[in-house]
Amino acid sequence: MEKEKGANKKFNIRSFFRFADKGTSIDMPLFIITMTLLVFGLIMLYSASYVVGIYRKGDSMHYIKNQLVFAAVGFVVMLIVSKIDYRIFKRYSWLVLCITYILLVIVLFMPEIKGVKRWIIIPGVLSFQPSEIAKFAVILLFADLIQKKGDKMKTLQHGVIPFGTILASVALLMLLEPHLSGTVIICAIGVIMMFVGGTDIKWFIIGITVLLVAVVGAVIMFPDLVPYAQTRIVAWRNPEADLTGSGYQSYQSLLAIGSGGLFGLGLGNSRQKHLHLPEPQNDFIFSVICEELGFFGGMMVIGLFFALLVRGIYVASRAKDKFGAMLVVGIVSQISVQAFLNIAVATNTIPNTGISLPFFSEGGTSLLMLLGEMGIALSVSRYANLEKGE
Amino acid sequence: MDNRPKKAQSKVTNSMRMRALFITCCFLGFVALIVGNMVNIQIINYEDYKAKASSIQLRDTKISPKRGTIYDANMKVLAQSATVWTVFVSPAESDDDQHYRIAEKLEEILGADKERTLTKLQNHNSYYEVIEYKIDKPEADAIRKWCDEEEILGVNLVEDFKRYYPYGSFAATILGFCGTDNQGLAGLESYYDEELTGVQGRVISAKNGWGLDMGYEYEELNAAQDGYSLVTTIDETVQHFLEKHLSQKVEEYNVQCRGVGIVMNVKTGAILAMSNKPDFDPNDPFTIYDPDVAAAIELITEDEEYNAAVSQARQTQWRNKAVSDLYEPGSVFKIITASAALDSGAATVNSGFYCKGHVSVGGWNIGCNNRAGHGPLTFTQALIESCNPSFIDMGQRMGIETFVDYFESFGMSEKTGIDLPGEQKSITYNADTMTETSLASNSFGQTFKVTPVQMITAVATAVNGGNLVTPHLVSKLVDEDGNTVKDLTPEIKRQVISEEVSRQICNMLLENGTTGNAQHSKVPGYRVGGKSGTSQKLDTAMDDDYIASYVGVAPCDDPEIAVLIFFDEPRTTSYYGGILAGPVVGALMGEILPYLGIEPVYTEAEKANVNVYVPNVTGSSVTDATSQLQRAGFTVKTLGSGATVTSQFPTNSHKIKKGGIVVLHTDAESQKITVTVPDLSGYSPTAAENTLNGLGLNISMSGVSATNKNAVIYSQSIAAGEKVQLGTTIGVTVSDTGVFE
Repeated sequence: MEKEKGANKKFNIRSFFRFADKGTSIDMPLFIITMTLLVFGLIMLYSASYVVGIYRKGDSMHYIKNQLVFAAVGFVVMLIVSKIDYRIFKRYSWLVLCITYILLVIVLFMPEIKGVKRWIIIPGVLSFQPSEIAKFAVILLFADLIQKKGDKMKTLQHGVIPFGTILASVALLMLLEPHLSGTVIICAIGVIMMFVGGTDIKWFIIGITVLLVAVVGAVIMFPDLVPYAQTRIVAWRNPEADLTGSGYQSYQSLLAIGSGGLFGLGLGNSRQKHLHLPEPQNDFIFSVICEELGFFGGMMVIGLFFALLVRGIYVASRAKDKFGAMLVVGIVSQISVQAFLNIAVATNTIPNTGISLPFFSEGGTSLLMLLGEMGIALSVSRYANLEKGE
Repeated sequence: MDNRPKKAQSKVTNSMRMRALFITCCFLGFVALIVGNMVNIQIINYEDYKAKASSIQLRDTKISPKRGTIYDANMKVLAQSATVWTVFVSPAESDDDQHYRIAEKLEEILGADKERTLTKLQNHNSYYEVIEYKIDKPEADAIRKWCDEEEILGVNLVEDFKRYYPYGSFAATILGFCGTDNQGLAGLESYYDEELTGVQGRVISAKNGWGLDMGYEYEELNAAQDGYSLVTTIDETVQHFLEKHLSQKVEEYNVQCRGVGIVMNVKTGAILAMSNKPDFDPNDPFTIYDPDVAAAIELITEDEEYNAAVSQARQTQWRNKAVSDLYEPGSVFKIITASAALDSGAATVNSGFYCKGHVSVGGWNIGCNNRAGHGPLTFTQALIESCNPSFIDMGQRMGIETFVDYFESFGMSEKTGIDLPGEQKSITYNADTMTETSLASNSFGQTFKVTPVQMITAVATAVNGGNLVTPHLVSKLVDEDGNTVKDLTPEIKRQVISEEVSRQICNMLLENGTTGNAQHSKVPGYRVGGKSGTSQKLDTAMDDDYIASYVGVAPCDDPEIAVLIFFDEPRTTSYYGGILAGPVVGALMGEILPYLGIEPVYTEAEKANVNVYVPNVTGSSVTDATSQLQRAGFTVKTLGSGATVTSQFPTNSHKIKKGGIVVLHTDAESQKITVTVPDLSGYSPTAAENTLNGLGLNISMSGVSATNKNAVIYSQSIAAGEKVQLGTTIGVTVSDTGVFE
C-alpha cells in the first residue's frame, strides 16, 4: 500500500504523458489494437456513411463529423482514465447502478423512435442509450462483487442470487423499452463475468437446464409459437425468399458481402451502400467493409476483435486483483459479444437483430463509452505492470 | 493481520484464468462459425452473389441501333427509321402510394388501360413491365416531364425506333416490313435484316436502392452500331410507272390471283421495279387490304377459323409472286427454245418448218393454235406465229440432252439467287426424267414451272448478248455517312448463247413487236420487241383459269430493259397475254424509255402520227390563232361569238397528234359545252378516229399498228357515257383479233 501511494505521489503532468515508461507502461499491444480499431473504424464509417449522409442529411460528412468529435474526446478520456487508478471506481459501483436504474426508468417515458424507447434525448445537448451505461454498470458492480465475495462465489447465496437479481432487474427494464439485443448482450456479459468470477459450474448447468425446460414448456403451452418460429427460421435460412420483411436486410447484406469476393471492390466502392443496404453506417457496416475490402478486409476486422479479446484476457489474468481482472474481462467480453453478434447478423449466421459494431458503427456516446472502458482496461494493465516493475 | 488473507483472496486465481481461457475458446468457436460462413459467401458462392447484386445494382439498358435506310437507285428514301420510345414501369423501384397516380396519368397521356397498368404494378419484384411500345416524342416528353415534376419513381422510357415507309403502299412486296422489335419480316427488310439491324449496344449504369440512376458512378457504355443502309436498284419513278399501270389493269381485268410486274436491266440483272398488285402498306402490314377478303373474314364467327383466315389473307397480300410463285411460262418460253436451237446449231435463221395444225408425239396429239395449220414457216415466222409444232420440231432436232443442257444453262433449274426471301425452286425435268413427250411440251413452255423472275432473267440472257445475269435489288451497302461498305452487284454467271444468236433473237422479237403478233407493246419511236404467253392453270379446279403474261424488250438494237407483266386469273373478255398484258408493257415502255434518256427514233410512218405540243394562242385574235394552228398542222374548231381567243383546249402543255383538233373559246359560255364519249369497242382504228374527230375529240392510239387488217379497239381510257370537254384526248388500245399464242 505504501508503495502504491508512492506511485501516486509521483504524479506530475510530464509523467502523465509518459505511457511507455518502463514500469509505468500501459499494455502496449492492447493500446495499439484499440487505436487500430478506432482509426480503421473511422475510415470505414466515412466510407459507409457518406452516401446515406448525402441522401438523408444532404451532407456526406454528416455522420463522420459527429463521430470524429466523439472519437477525439473519447481518445483523451481514454488516456486520462488509463492514468487513473481503476480501484477508485469500486466506490461508485452501486451509485452507477442506481443511476442506471433511474435512467432505464426515465427512458420509458421518452418519445418512441421507430416503435421503441431506447434513447434519452435532451435536444441540442446530447442523446444516449441508457443501456450503454447499464452495460458498464453491470461490469463495474459485478467486478466489485466478485472481488468482495471471494471464495463464497461458489455458493448460491453469494455467487448466484445477487448477480441474478441485478441482471434480471436490469434486463427486465431493458425488455420494457423493448431492447432485446441489448438485453441479450448484457446477460451475456453478466453470465461470462459470473463464470470467470467463480460461480460454481453446477449453477450454470442448472441454469441451462431450466432454460431448456422453459423453452419446452413454452412450446407445450403455446403450440401456436411453433409454426411462427418455423417461418422465422425458414426466413433466416433463406432470406432471398422473403424480400419484403426482415429477409430483405439480410439478403442485401449477403449480396454486399458476397459481391466483395476475396479482395473487394476497393475502399469507397461499395455499391450496396447506395440505399440498397439498410443502415450501412450502423448495423450493416461490416457488410460494407466486406464488399469494399473483400474477405481479407472482413478477416482483418474479425482478427482485430479477436486479438482485443485475447490480449484483454491476457491483461486480466495478469491483473493485480480480481476487481481489475473482472473489469477487463467484462469490458472485452462486452466488445467481443457485440462485435461477433453484429458480424454474425451481417453474415446471416444468426437471425437479424439490431446490434452495432463497436468502434465502427456510427454512434458518438457509444464510442465515448467504449474508449472510456478501454481506458479502464489500460489502467488495469498499467497497475499490473507497475506492481511487477516494483 | 486480517489484511493479508483478504489481499490473498483478491488475487486473480488460476481457476479464473482457466475459465477466462474457456470463454476465449467459446468465442473462438463462434468466430470459426462466422469465418466458415464468410468463406461460403465470399469465396464459394462469390459468382452467384455478384450476379444477383449486379441485377439489383446495375441497370442494363439496351440501346437499339438505328436500322439502316433503304434507298432507291437515286438515293430517294424508301424506308427509314425514326426514334420512338417504349414506356415501362419498374414496380420494384416504384412507391406503392404512387401506383394509382401513375396508372391514371398513363391512361391520360397514352390511353393505356388504368386497370391493366395497376395489375402490372402489382409485380413487386419486376423491373420491366411494358405499358406501351413505340410512342412518339410528344407523349414521351409529357411522361418525362410529369415524372420529374412529381418525383415519380419507376416509370421509365427507353429509346427505340419505328419504321416508316414514306411512300406508303409502294414497292411493298419488295421492301417488306418490320415487326415490333424492328426485325425484318418480309422482303428486303428480311433478306438484309442482319445488315440493316446493326449491332445492339448497351449501357450499364449504377442505380441506388431507390432505383435512381447514378450517372457519375461506374457507367459502362458499349455504343450501338447503326445498321447499314441499302442502296437498291429500284428506280422510284419506274416503280411508280409500273404500279400505276399494273393496279389499273388488275382492277380492270378483275384479276383473281394478283398481277405481277418486273422491270429489269437486261445487262446487269438489276431490278428497276417489281410489283405485286394488290399489295399492302408496309407502315401497317397486318391490315387486310382486299376489301372483299376483309369483309368475308369479318363474317367468320369461329375464333380458330377466323385466325386462320386472317393469317391466310395476310400471307397472300405479303407474298411476292415474282419470286415465290411457280407458273408454266407458256409461249414466252419459246424465246429460250429458239435461242437454244440456234445456238446449238440444230436450226438456223434460215431453217424452215411446216405446221399441219397438230403433231403426234409419243402417242399424244398436240394441237397448234391454228387448227388449220400454219403451213410452211421460216424460223422467224414460227416465233411470230408462236407455232407449237415448229417448236416441238426444234426440241426434237436438239434432242433431250442438248435441250436440257440449254434449259439448265439458262438457269431454269436453279434459283436465280435474287436477294429476296422465299425464292421458290422451279419444278423441271432433267436429262434422266425427260421423255419424248415432255421434251415436246417443254419446247413450247409447258409441263414445267418456273418463277416469273426466273423467266425474265432467261429472256434477259437471250437478248443481252447471251450472258446469264443474277437478278438483284441491292447494289451496295452504305454506312450512315454514305460511304460504300460493300458493293453487292453480282457477277455475270455465265455465257449461255453466242452474241450472234442473241442478236438474231432480238431481231425476231423486234419483228414480232413491230409487224408481227406482238404489236400490243408497240411504242412510237422505240424498237420494242415482245413475246406474249398464255398458260392454262392445269392444276386449279376451273378449266378456264389462265395466266396471261407478256415480255417486252427494248430497244431491240441494243436491249437495255425487259419488262414482264403477268396476270394470274384475269376475269374479263379475254385471257390472252398479248391482249391483256401486252398493252401494259407498251404503256410502260413508252414512259420508261424516255425517262431513262433513250431518244426516240421515229420511222417515216410514225413521224406522221407523232404527238406534238400545241402552241399557245390564247390572247390572239381568232384569225391569227387559226392561221397559226393550221400552219402547225392542227384542225381548229372555234366556239363562241368573240373575236379574241380567251382560252384554248388542249393548252400548250399538251401533246396531240399532228392534225388533231384544237378548240378555241372566245367567251366563257362556250367553255361549258361538253360532249359524251362514245363506246368505241370493236371499232376499227380508222372508224374510231373519225368518230371521235367528228365529235370534236382527239384520239391517242397504242398497241397493234392501226394498219393491221385485223386491228380493232380493245379498250379506251375514258369510259363511254362520260361527259368531257371538247378537244379532250381519248386513249385507245388497239388489239389484233387474229392473235393467238
